[in-house]
Amino acid sequence: MASNSSEIDHGNYVPVPVTEGIHVPDGGSYRKVFLNELPEKGFVVGKDASLDITVVMLPGHSAELPLTVDLMGEGSEVRLAGICLCKDEDQVTIDITMNHRSGHCKSQQIFNTLAAGASKSAFFGKIVVAPDAQKTEAYQENHNIVLSDEASVNTKPRLEIYADDVKCSHGATVGKLNEDEQFYMRSRGIPEEEAKVLQMISFVAPILTHVGDEDLDAAVEAAIRELA
Amino acid sequence: MSDIILKISGLHAKVADKEILKGIDLEIRRGEIHAVMGPNGAGKSTLSSVLTGKPDYEVTEGSIEFLGQDLLAMKPEERAWAGMFMSFQYPIEIPGVSITNFMKTAINSRLKAEGKEPMKAGDFLKLMKEKMALVQMKPEFAKREVNVGFSGGEKKRNEIFQMAMLDPTLAILDETDSGLDVDALKIVADGVNALHTPDKAAIVITHYQKLLEYVRPDSVHVLKAGKIVATGGNELIDRIERYGFEQF
Repeated sequence: MASNSSEIDHGNYVPVPVTEGIHVPDGGSYRKVFLNELPEKGFVVGKDASLDITVVMLPGHSAELPLTVDLMGEGSEVRLAGICLCKDEDQVTIDITMNHRSGHCKSQQIFNTLAAGASKSAFFGKIVVAPDAQKTEAYQENHNIVLSDEASVNTKPRLEIYADDVKCSHGATVGKLNEDEQFYMRSRGIPEEEAKVLQMISFVAPILTHVGDEDLDAAVEAAIRELA
Repeated sequence: MSDIILKISGLHAKVADKEILKGIDLEIRRGEIHAVMGPNGAGKSTLSSVLTGKPDYEVTEGSIEFLGQDLLAMKPEERAWAGMFMSFQYPIEIPGVSITNFMKTAINSRLKAEGKEPMKAGDFLKLMKEKMALVQMKPEFAKREVNVGFSGGEKKRNEIFQMAMLDPTLAILDETDSGLDVDALKIVADGVNALHTPDKAAIVITHYQKLLEYVRPDSVHVLKAGKIVATGGNELIDRIERYGFEQF
């Protein structure tokens, strides 16, 4: 069920230069939903700031989406979330680098992918915690449901932790829609296709609930019906 | 309106290449409650799985007529629309789907299949409230994810609640008494009795006689090694209690 690989790297910390990115100033907040794209530049987050990004990839879109976030000051919070709905020949790669350069920050990532048709999707998620970035909390989850035999999914979380007083975790799963659930729903009169739609909506629900936008909910539901 | 709800004739079925049912005949009429009792491995679960159309169960011989239709040609959802309901021995958890959404989708799917308009939101909520009260389910369960984090008793109560919502012509209670304490058993049994009317029927599948003290069957069948080896009235329950299934 779960396919997952990770490394905890205790080698020498070699800081990479801070990317030229969109600045979230000290005490500032930036919250945005991106549809079928991400900004080319990364984000540079100051002190006591918050960054809340959600990306939704609808079927029929292919993209390489690298995203780097640099946490430069203490007390900041970052949430990155994404829904990928892939079908046919879609190819989507999400490549996250979360640089905790300062302590006392929290980052959360949750990316859920539904892969249909002959699509290829990948999630690369790197969390780097610098030696000075004590009291960091960094979490990452990537869940994938494969809807056809031809679809492929690649997930690779990577943690590089150079500080010793941190809380970090990652979880990756790859699976199929649960058939026992489907039979239970069908036995109550819910047609097979509708049962699958319900399962898929519930799979992406945590990300949609956080955004709380009915238009987005409707767009995602319509897209999910294309996959069913 | 024909009197016969279910007619099983010469039913043989296998799962994973193993023959489990070896020739079952059973006829169920309106107003009747039938108990099917038997030891572990007798084929009780296979019988309920074949009736509800669970994938992986293959019928190799025989036929089943449900309200005059060829049941084996129907999908599980079509069987539900036609008026069949099974209370699961092990109800399934569906994370992320609320009981309200689950039931609304179920009821509106049937209405759609019948070419009717979906139920009005107000009417639906009123029905939910009424049926939850019937099985003494707390109103906050309406928002809970289906069976997630429920106790054994709560899961079984939720099954009978769903049965009340869907109002089936034939209810199949598959080991509904397993894992229930006496209080929960009484609530479940009261629910089943309240839903039973002269135009409906029920099959109570059970290992023990416990539930049958509260839901009195008209007819008792003993299933053993894939066959019905005895049929009788309530005296058969006492005989099983006293001498076990060995005697058959």
